[in-house]
Amino acid sequence: MRRPVSLTLRLTLLFGIVAGIVFSGFGWLIEDSIKRHFAEQDTSELESIVMATEAVLLSNLAVETGRPLERRFGDILVGHHGASMLITGPDGRVQFTSAGPDLSALVNETASSALDRSVLDWSDDMERYRVIIRKVSETLRNHRFYTIIVAVPIDYHLRFLSSFRHTLWLMIISGIAITSIIGWVAVRQGHAPLHNIIAKIRLISADKLDTRLPPESVPGELTDLAVSFNEMLSRMEEAFQRLSNFSADIAHELRTPVTSLMTQTQVALSQKRTIDEYREILYSNIEEYERMSQMIGDMLFLAQADEGLCTPDVTDVDLADEVQVLFDYYEALAEDRAITLTLEGTAMVSGDRLMLRRALGNLLSNAIRHTLSGKAVLVSIGTLNNGEIYIVIENPGVEIPSTHLPNLFDRFYRVDPSRQEGGTGLGLAIVKSIIDAHGGRIEVSSSGDSTQFRIILPDTASATSQT
Amino acid sequence: MKLLIVEDESKIGDYLRQGLAEAGFVVDLARKGLDGHHLAMTEDYNLLILDVMLPDIDGWEILKSLREADRNVPVLFLTARDNIDDRVKGLELGADDYLVKPFAFAELLARVRTLLRRGAAPAGETTLAIADLELDLMRRRVTRAGQRIQLTAKEFALLELMMRHKGEVLPRSLIASQVWDMNFDSDTNVIDVAIRRLRAKVDENFQPKLIHTLRGMGYMLDLPEEG
Repeated sequence: MRRPVSLTLRLTLLFGIVAGIVFSGFGWLIEDSIKRHFAEQDTSELESIVMATEAVLLSNLAVETGRPLERRFGDILVGHHGASMLITGPDGRVQFTSAGPDLSALVNETASSALDRSVLDWSDDMERYRVIIRKVSETLRNHRFYTIIVAVPIDYHLRFLSSFRHTLWLMIISGIAITSIIGWVAVRQGHAPLHNIIAKIRLISADKLDTRLPPESVPGELTDLAVSFNEMLSRMEEAFQRLSNFSADIAHELRTPVTSLMTQTQVALSQKRTIDEYREILYSNIEEYERMSQMIGDMLFLAQADEGLCTPDVTDVDLADEVQVLFDYYEALAEDRAITLTLEGTAMVSGDRLMLRRALGNLLSNAIRHTLSGKAVLVSIGTLNNGEIYIVIENPGVEIPSTHLPNLFDRFYRVDPSRQEGGTGLGLAIVKSIIDAHGGRIEVSSSGDSTQFRIILPDTASATSQT
Repeated sequence: MKLLIVEDESKIGDYLRQGLAEAGFVVDLARKGLDGHHLAMTEDYNLLILDVMLPDIDGWEILKSLREADRNVPVLFLTARDNIDDRVKGLELGADDYLVKPFAFAELLARVRTLLRRGAAPAGETTLAIADLELDLMRRRVTRAGQRIQLTAKEFALLELMMRHKGEVLPRSLIASQVWDMNFDSDTNVIDVAIRRLRAKVDENFQPKLIHTLRGMGYMLDLPEEG
């Protein structure tokens, strides 16, 4: 994939292009109006010569005066810088020609075209001219025409225009360059808050995850960026904290059984013992090993859940059936402690049968363990008004102090740290990650004489309820 | 019964060999994938126990080339990684069973025996018997010394499992999975309670005692050793 063009370059180019278009437009307008102005000036000059000539011609034809025509035509041209004229009579003979360019070439042109009032551009070998050609009838009734051809040179106009155009181009190019440079500087300046943010982000490392970008100190456009970056940091900090606590906890949890195994083995080896004593030590070791092995299994499960690897293998699960299977399993244990297991209601959910069974099993075994003899564990299943499925596992027992409730699903969290209950301390954490993987949530509440675990599973399309 | 173990961890390999040999099997141990592959291709074994992670060629490779060569010996995999992909891969390649490390030796032994029994399934047995204990599978009836014993459905299933595996140590996790379909590490004291209740009905008022506890291993149903 190609790296996109840098923002600075893009904006600078944009500034340059816009400046180019605007300046060229203005330049074109100015040049055009100057050109038009010159053309008008030339035309009016030509017209005034023609009109004067016409007047002379007509008056001369009416009243023969003594002054020679040539002189009078010559006079007309005085004051019109560089103008020249050619007059032909009705018979086609040249009546008058001024000094200057040879206009006779244009006579034939007039015969072929009806260029009556219009002005045309013409050039001889030396210069360019603006020319007007006019036919004048001898009398009003008569169709005998004189032809007047007048030309004024326009080279000095064109020279002015070309030097003007030259200047204009220089101005446009330098305008573009200046605008681009200013644009570039402005963009760099505009990016300064971004560079500040980058400098701050650069300082963030694993041990400084509590850094936050102050959203009020960045420009409005970047507030969202700062806020979402802060949110990401919070999530990372939380996950990181949990992970590092987890690692520390694992080390701690493993230290205890390893210490006991080492001590026991070393003491055992410190003097001769009977076969039965050795056997006893090995048995006791096996119990520790089994606990450690179970802990490893649980930790792997949680690690996979953390990585999002524990995706439920979804089927339709009848929750009442699952609870009944678990009741069958725990029945003997419960009866042994004179605890009754009661189930109310039913519901279907889409989920992973084995994972849900494991979650419910952990909760149920937990409930049985904490129920006083002679009491009942109640599991109720049903559908809420909004279609969500609830599973409530309630057991009478000693109240869990409310300070512990929020942490109950944390890994290795024990209400009474001094009491080792034989479990791995991961049971409820596993329940939570299974429920999380199903998109549900779990809550716990504990009052004077009973504790309630409440699982809410989302309403899945294929699930139907029959409470 | 001849088994081949391919395992590069020397301690695990040694103890597996010792344990399986003491359980009455003839055991070969290969410490390298290529040695194991060679042995598996040339010798006849009743079962292979393959470690997945080996330094030269891994267990999958050995299994693959065995199956390609049409050697249909049952294969039990040992793996240190427990994830779905590995399981699916193993089953696709034709593995018969797998165990995740760390595992209990009793569990391994039970799986080995199950795999070896496969194919030679008892044809239409209707009664199981040991000493004076009789299990009538058709009528779901249990008698000991001619006396009828009332068992719940799960107690019956538990007793049937133990009688079918008589003389074999059954770890608690295996019992939980076979009788109650609990395939995760659950409260194993549930099994202890269930066994205690079964024992009260089947063993308490009778001689000899048939249900034995093997501390740290599991339970076993067998005639007591003489002496």
